[in-house]
Amino acid sequence: MIVNAELFVKDLPGQLVGSIEPISLVDGNIMGVMHDRERIVNHRICINITFEVDSQEQLEQLKNIWKSKDIIISKLGSVYQTYTMDYLLIGKIDALYIEGLIRRASEIVTLDNVDVRYSSRSSSSDKKSGMISVKVRNLEDLDLLDGFLSAECRDAGITYVRGV
Amino acid sequence: MRVFICGFGTVGQGLCEVLADRAQFFLDRYGEPVIVTGAMDSRTFILAPQGIAPLDLVARKKGSGRVGDESYTDSTAVLEQAEYDILVEVSPTDVKTGGAGLVNITYALNHGKDVITVNKGPLALKFCELISLARKNKCKLRFEGSVAGAMPIINLCHENLKGERISSIRGIFNGTCNFILSKMDKGQPFEQALKEAQQMGYAETDPTNDIEGYDSACKVAILANSIFGRNVTFNDVKITGITGITDEAVAMAASRNMVIRLIGEISETRLEVGPRLVPKGHPLSISGTLNTALIQADLAGPITITGRGAGRIETASAILSDLIAIMDERRNRR
Repeated sequence: MIVNAELFVKDLPGQLVGSIEPISLVDGNIMGVMHDRERIVNHRICINITFEVDSQEQLEQLKNIWKSKDIIISKLGSVYQTYTMDYLLIGKIDALYIEGLIRRASEIVTLDNVDVRYSSRSSSSDKKSGMISVKVRNLEDLDLLDGFLSAECRDAGITYVRGV
Repeated sequence: MRVFICGFGTVGQGLCEVLADRAQFFLDRYGEPVIVTGAMDSRTFILAPQGIAPLDLVARKKGSGRVGDESYTDSTAVLEQAEYDILVEVSPTDVKTGGAGLVNITYALNHGKDVITVNKGPLALKFCELISLARKNKCKLRFEGSVAGAMPIINLCHENLKGERISSIRGIFNGTCNFILSKMDKGQPFEQALKEAQQMGYAETDPTNDIEGYDSACKVAILANSIFGRNVTFNDVKITGITGITDEAVAMAASRNMVIRLIGEISETRLEVGPRLVPKGHPLSISGTLNTALIQADLAGPITITGRGAGRIETASAILSDLIAIMDERRNRR
């Protein structure tokens, strides 16, 4: 699992390294560190770390080490990697149709975020364009979503354009 | 080396110009010339067992509209009389039946002749059968110019990326569609962009093959068979053309810093041609009539190649590279 932690350490030399080292000790993988020297609370400096561990057990072990080193854990949360994809639908579409499409898509895959924008009706035809931007948690979901949307659009006579 | 040319349109004439231009190169490299022993267009043929100057053939075609003096109805009857080592098949493509190209290639391979072709129809419909026939008769069938003209995608994958595992190829394989979509980026409606493409000679009077994605689909089928070892035909490709793309849709894509391009995609699971949203600055976002391909290889990573996908001399350049490859191989066999 990918975890994001906000820690507060004493403003002393070696404290930054001291907060990062335990992640390696529990076989975790450090993905990002942000050392915010401007955020000081009670003479302690904020460090934001994103890391990956295999199990809850490893995470508990890590929390215990931090506590034993007098490192304050102010926030701890799971982070998921997300994949963004854009889809452009062109044809006789309206908000109701797109909403229904998204509702049915969300029964197939977990959509972390959906953003829809529409063009005004074309002056040269009765077609409208709708841009759907989604975030999903894995590439397999993108494939499933692509299969679902392309089949739905083909059946409805809508031109389907997806991102690369 | 004796060459017979089937098809004497722009590509056939371009090849003759290139052969004349590179005559000394062949003498230096192989100690022998490339002799054109005959040619045929859609109605006439000429046989010259001792060879005819390539530029004379071009002059005949330009002067009378015919390459030969004699007419024919059965191209295989002409090939039966012809004396050649390599057949260059550059007749007009027919994606429904394979047309005369399929007949000529099959005939030559059955008679143990090496074949170079840029004719997409026969390859998109009968690739595996033609490759098997070539293997059975121990002859070479090369077709670099059938996909993306002068852009050396097939030989690059076969020769330079031999040890790689190629997981996908995505590319722009039709310059006409790319020209139209590039014009639409600048605010032109589809119909106007198509008309301009026709006026400039990029699109034919009947542009169906280009704008409906059939031309790109032929190339996707050829790449799937030749690079990925799949056994597919043109009919297996999922095709969406660009006729449904509106100027509003292009503007909407632009508002998100993207362009729409007709992309062919080949991988283990995909065999598609369709319009795609491409971020500006991405290798597949190129404008104009160029072709491009993004090859994903396991060791080398992504490789992008770009080049002219059509044109008289450009396509002849691909035929030239195939001709040299065959002549090199024959020399090494000796």
